Amino acid sequence: MTTAARPSAPAVAVRGLAHRYASGAGDVVALDGVDLHVEAGEFVSIVGPSGCGKTTLLRAVAGLLAPSEGSVAVFGGTPEAAQTAHALGLVSQDPGLLPWRSVEANVRLALELTGVTTDVPGLLARVGIAAFARHRPGELSGGMRQRVALARAIAHGPRLLLMDEPFGALDELSREVIRLELVRLWERDRPAVLFVTHAIREAVMLSDRVVVMSGLPGRMLDEIAIDLPRPRIESIESTAPFAALVDRVRAALRAGAHGDARGGV
Amino acid sequence: MRTRDVTALPEGALDAGGRRGGLGWLVPPMVFALLLLAWEGLVRALAVQSYLLPPPTAVARALLAEPGRFAGAAALSLEAALGGLVIATVSAFALAAVMAHSRPLERALYPPALLLKVMPIVAVYPLLTIWFGFGMWPKMLIAALLTFFPMLVNALVGLRSVDPAALDFFHALHASTWQVFWRLRLPSSLPYVFAALRISVPLSLIGAVVAEFLSGASGMGQVILIANGDFDTAVLFGAVFVLGALGVSLTALVSYLERRVLDWHESSRAV
Repeated sequence: MTTAARPSAPAVAVRGLAHRYASGAGDVVALDGVDLHVEAGEFVSIVGPSGCGKTTLLRAVAGLLAPSEGSVAVFGGTPEAAQTAHALGLVSQDPGLLPWRSVEANVRLALELTGVTTDVPGLLARVGIAAFARHRPGELSGGMRQRVALARAIAHGPRLLLMDEPFGALDELSREVIRLELVRLWERDRPAVLFVTHAIREAVMLSDRVVVMSGLPGRMLDEIAIDLPRPRIESIESTAPFAALVDRVRAALRAGAHGDARGGV
Repeated sequence: MRTRDVTALPEGALDAGGRRGGLGWLVPPMVFALLLLAWEGLVRALAVQSYLLPPPTAVARALLAEPGRFAGAAALSLEAALGGLVIATVSAFALAAVMAHSRPLERALYPPALLLKVMPIVAVYPLLTIWFGFGMWPKMLIAALLTFFPMLVNALVGLRSVDPAALDFFHALHASTWQVFWRLRLPSSLPYVFAALRISVPLSLIGAVVAEFLSGASGMGQVILIANGDFDTAVLFGAVFVLGALGVSLTALVSYLERRVLDWHESSRAV
């Protein structure tokens, strides 16, 4: 297998992934036997309870963590090769902005690290933060900071966007607004997206496919194709097919939770 | 609460309600003046012998009698203190940068660094004069020895206290160790470096003066040594005032730089 990225390869191909964290009371199994596939240009959400290893899975795909077992391929190569090729964009739950830099300089960081050039004012306008270009992150609300993190993550034009509960700390109103903007941004550039969340409606609204995981250890339970039409607009959330898909995801999550209960603690 | 409403913050709003507004800045000098008055009054009322406790007016007369001597000695002490501070800050930060990148190196280098901290300078100073003579170097090195450890410990903590989400972002974009250092670790450490400087600045002056006192060769330490031998308490107090003024000015300078450099940090926000 070559380590160089191939354009035809799937964005993410995870096989037999398992990961254990060492702890004082013995190893904690965070992930067990996880398989995952994301095609180039596909939007895939991972939904599961807290502590189901979603973040561990995402960090393994980003090359930030070496898994105990299994293989991770990103565009046919290693995650490190994808880092080197500047193919990855990362948004975490904590925006991780540099507090001493202005909003604009924070977005430029991605360009400084990758050597890519882009129209920064245009990007700030698309993400809705043009008016705050000269402000520092400490002067912004949580929602605005997360928009800056999003702009920084897509500034260098990554082909795979990894998002770890990016809107988890926001209030419901900000979430709805920024979710619609993410849809709009994604439908324009179409990078592959791996989106981790515990919000079911959010996953259905955004995705081509929703992967449902169980908790402790994290295992794949089900995969639900979201065959809603695109472009997706706000009103889609009040349609019957949308509600049916939300119910299906919820049912899959509940089945997983009952499985855990039968397994005993 | 860290989040501020940016739209509702007119320019200068912080100044009006903050510490810079009003006549609050007058309080410390007035308290100081009152203390001097009380001192003068008590010394006169109780007729205290001047060699035991001279009144402030006598101290002022001693200072004004030979202003050139005090200024020259103060300049030498200041030079030794700042030279030592620069040596300590640069070397401690460089060592902290090495230690921050490797736990084994940290474990290996910490004991010798701690040894520098616990060495009594009274024992080290004679050795330094044997090696470097009685000039500026042994004085700067004593000042550096006193200030090295606070800077090392703070810089190490600062270089390590990096936002993990920001670090993940750097790594996901395959940033080099240097890029992470210059763009993330160094700026993140600055609040800790300034905290260390506020401790180190007075310490460096103490180090310089102690070295001068031990050698008796020059500077404010020599002024104190000679005045002590002459029972010239007015000059002794004059030296204390000069050193106090130096220490306060240097600390104020550090605070000013801190507010300018760290205007993004919580510590420099108006309450």
